[in-house]
Amino acid sequence: MSSKEQFNQISPSEFFYRNRDLAGFSNPTRSLYTAVREFVENSLDACDHSGVFPNIEMTIKAVNTEKPDPKQYILTVKDNGPGIPPKHVPLAFGTVLYGSKFGLKQARGMFGLGATMAILYGQITTNKPVKVKSNSDGKIRNDFEMLLDIQKNKPVILKKEEKPSSELGLSVSICLDGDYSKAGTKIRDYVYQTSLITPYATITFNDPKGEKFHHKAIIRSMPPAPTIIAPHPYGIDVETIRRMLVDTHYQIPNVDDKMIEKVRKELGMSKKKFSYNDIMKKTEKKWKSLTRPVRVVIALMSFLEADFEKLQRVRIEDVDLRNNKLVYWDYSTSQTLVSDMDVESPYYKQLANTVQGESLTHFLTKRFQRVGPTSAVEFCKFAKFKPESRVGNMTDQELVKLSDALQTYEGFRSPDPTCLAPLGAIPLEKGIERRFEPDFSAVVQRTASAYSGFPFVIEMGIAYGGNIESRGTTVYRFANRIPLLYDEGSDVVLKVVKDTDWNRYKVKNDSAPLIIVSHICSTRVPYKTVGKENVADRPEIEKELRLALQFLSRKLAGYMSKKGKAEMAKKRANLYSKYLPLIAQFCTELSGNKKEPKYEKMIKEETNIGEEANIEEKTE
Amino acid sequence: MKKKQNKKPEKDKSKELIEILKKHGAQVYEDLENGQFPKFSIPNRSISNIMYDKKLRQYILGTNTSLRSSRNTSQLRSFTQLLWLAFFANKLTHEKKSSTLRDVYYSSQAFAVDFEDQGESDNIIVDLEAVLSKPRENFFVFPEERSSIFGDLTIEYTIPGYEGKKQNLSTHPDGYAIGPSMTSAQLADTSAELVIAIEKGGLFTRFVEEQVDKKFKSIIINTGGQAPRSTRTLLKRLHEEMKLPVVILTDGDVYGEHIAMVIKSGSANAAHLRELTVPDAKWMGVWATDIDKYKLPTIPMTESDIKRCFDLQKDPRYQEGIWKKELEVFTKIKKKAELEAFSKYGLTNITDKYLPEKLELAKSL
Repeated sequence: MSSKEQFNQISPSEFFYRNRDLAGFSNPTRSLYTAVREFVENSLDACDHSGVFPNIEMTIKAVNTEKPDPKQYILTVKDNGPGIPPKHVPLAFGTVLYGSKFGLKQARGMFGLGATMAILYGQITTNKPVKVKSNSDGKIRNDFEMLLDIQKNKPVILKKEEKPSSELGLSVSICLDGDYSKAGTKIRDYVYQTSLITPYATITFNDPKGEKFHHKAIIRSMPPAPTIIAPHPYGIDVETIRRMLVDTHYQIPNVDDKMIEKVRKELGMSKKKFSYNDIMKKTEKKWKSLTRPVRVVIALMSFLEADFEKLQRVRIEDVDLRNNKLVYWDYSTSQTLVSDMDVESPYYKQLANTVQGESLTHFLTKRFQRVGPTSAVEFCKFAKFKPESRVGNMTDQELVKLSDALQTYEGFRSPDPTCLAPLGAIPLEKGIERRFEPDFSAVVQRTASAYSGFPFVIEMGIAYGGNIESRGTTVYRFANRIPLLYDEGSDVVLKVVKDTDWNRYKVKNDSAPLIIVSHICSTRVPYKTVGKENVADRPEIEKELRLALQFLSRKLAGYMSKKGKAEMAKKRANLYSKYLPLIAQFCTELSGNKKEPKYEKMIKEETNIGEEANIEEKTE
Repeated sequence: MKKKQNKKPEKDKSKELIEILKKHGAQVYEDLENGQFPKFSIPNRSISNIMYDKKLRQYILGTNTSLRSSRNTSQLRSFTQLLWLAFFANKLTHEKKSSTLRDVYYSSQAFAVDFEDQGESDNIIVDLEAVLSKPRENFFVFPEERSSIFGDLTIEYTIPGYEGKKQNLSTHPDGYAIGPSMTSAQLADTSAELVIAIEKGGLFTRFVEEQVDKKFKSIIINTGGQAPRSTRTLLKRLHEEMKLPVVILTDGDVYGEHIAMVIKSGSANAAHLRELTVPDAKWMGVWATDIDKYKLPTIPMTESDIKRCFDLQKDPRYQEGIWKKELEVFTKIKKKAELEAFSKYGLTNITDKYLPEKLELAKSL
């Protein structure tokens, strides 16, 4: 048996370097496509969050056009977003797992991981630095050239320049191994479909062959930006609860110089030396305006009878409420000391509350969405907790019990969808109308629903006929405004579409010019794979998709039967104008009359009926 | 022995037809003038509306009719086709120009009345027959000629260019084709006392050679298999206008038996017509019982022959007399014999021996 096994810690960069397949960088074809996605999506997210109409220009250029694929390409994505302040640039593009997307709201990317992965991939395959040009203040553009130190997970800045520029935005350029001849179709599809689901964005793609794909924005309104919200009880686990407890203001604050400075400031006693009594007097006057951490520190000071100088010399070790003792370490004497706490003191309650944490009901209503005082009390009954029990005192077992109960209790209202950013029915319909130019289109936005505590909204559109050239049902899938292009086979949307009996809706499935656009918005889309290309069939999501599709199919059926009627009337009129003259001619000769009968009026009447049906259809 | 004609002359027939056509045309004209969609009422020719009339001894149509309206877009096209055909038939009858089913199909193309195929135009022709209750020969649409006639019969042509010209049908040994000119001719005179219809051309020639016409005072007609309708019309006229009995000689099998039956009582296909049957015609052979009686060489029946036997057993016309009896024997022996089978006993055996015996027997049928 080997006893000399080595245990090494690896940096996140190294982990992803070793497992780059997971993130979609498995081969030159897939990698080129994934890199495009990551940069374009970051740009769109940045513009969305700052409320700017995105104008994104993407360029792929071969380093050496003569060489056969796979070969080195330079990928550049430029946006008009808010840019990144220069001090954050090295970390944002030179560190794995650095980002601003760790809150609970809908965004295209989850962690800002992909862009760094793309940079990492580029660096591995070509050993060329990433070039970042960022302008975040509208005055100066900062140009960086950087490499990633994979083992240390740190950026290495090779070059840094400043140039005056008034144009806000960010441009990222990497050199990477890619195969455009194979990835080209997907990339063009991706750009096209992105423009469909982001109709307020202008997206331009300059491809390596010199072709330009320009998708102009077709609407001038942006859907409301999502807000960051508290988590829903259904989506919680023990670790999250523990973090939430730590992350409260109810901790005993760390009494360092900074904290002392804060106390002085709030009391308005920054400059001079003050006695303990002076401090207490001032506190009584100012109590109401003090922040909670400051109040706690002052409470401690009151039991220690300490002024600021003394406070600097101690470290609080324990607040023992059972014995009403305060235990602390004194640096000047290097020993642990104990001070009694007066239960009658007004500061005692302050300290006690802080140490015990909030009451359970308070914790639930404040820290979670969709939990009010009533449902909090109801929940406590269900979970067999005392409503007034303090979360700070909970044992590990109790936390597990609480977490389990939160997920099994059925009384909570469904998650708050304000953290979602669906496109909206009107922009979606406009996008569909402008991009496909169909004869008929309809869209629906379902009300928000939730699966395992994660809210989601289904938006769906249907388009038929007109300039749609494809035959059979074409499905465009989107999740959080990202087109899903790979792995279509196992996707829940396709499953739902496939299950539909189109004959019921008067549509010939294999020859109909039919397009379905499906958009799933969620704070967490349940992807089946890390590559984020197909959505797993959660029953809640499947049900919503089904309802949306049924609604649209019924509308389509209505259109089809009207269209059928109008076409029939037109056909009738055509038939009458073809045959009635013949009938008139033959019967005139047969009956021996000289003049033909006056039949023209009859054709006219029939034609009018046909036109009426047409008009009716258009005004609908 | 001279027979006088007593039916209305062919001229009147045409006149009557033209009158009916004009009446229909005028009705359509009037409807259009009044802003109404014209329509035809057509006797329903579906199987459910075909029944056997024991009195008339033929299939007839029931009282069901279907309406073909020009308002209904699914019927508009066929309505127009039907009216066109009436118009075209009127023209043919006026000009006494004969045509065939195929001619009609092609003629339609000059008038922008398109038929998809000849089948469609054939159907419309039958529709017009049904509307008018007249066979198409009356409006100068004839079948391809393949049957012929020989014997002492004098006819008088009515077709343009030959009007009034007479012709005796015993001067050419190959016989005379039963075509449009024959069908529309007046039957003037005959010395014959009998009409023998025979299924096959070969035997027809033998009969002429052996002077069956003279020996048995007969007119010989080659039906060329299933008798065309113009031939059946001629047979009917010979029977009715010249008062001649009709006997039929066919191969000894179910098909032969049915050829005789169609001459006698028509077919279900022509249930809408009344001028194609000779209810008194007699089938005198070759019977199933003759096969054994005359020791004729036989051929085993095929499966489709046997199936045909069972089909015909369900036909109401095969429920009595020799029709029933012979069919049962055919079904039992599962053998058949052709007319030529008599040649085993000498080429003239059929005319010398078989024919006289059968003719004698036929008198008692």
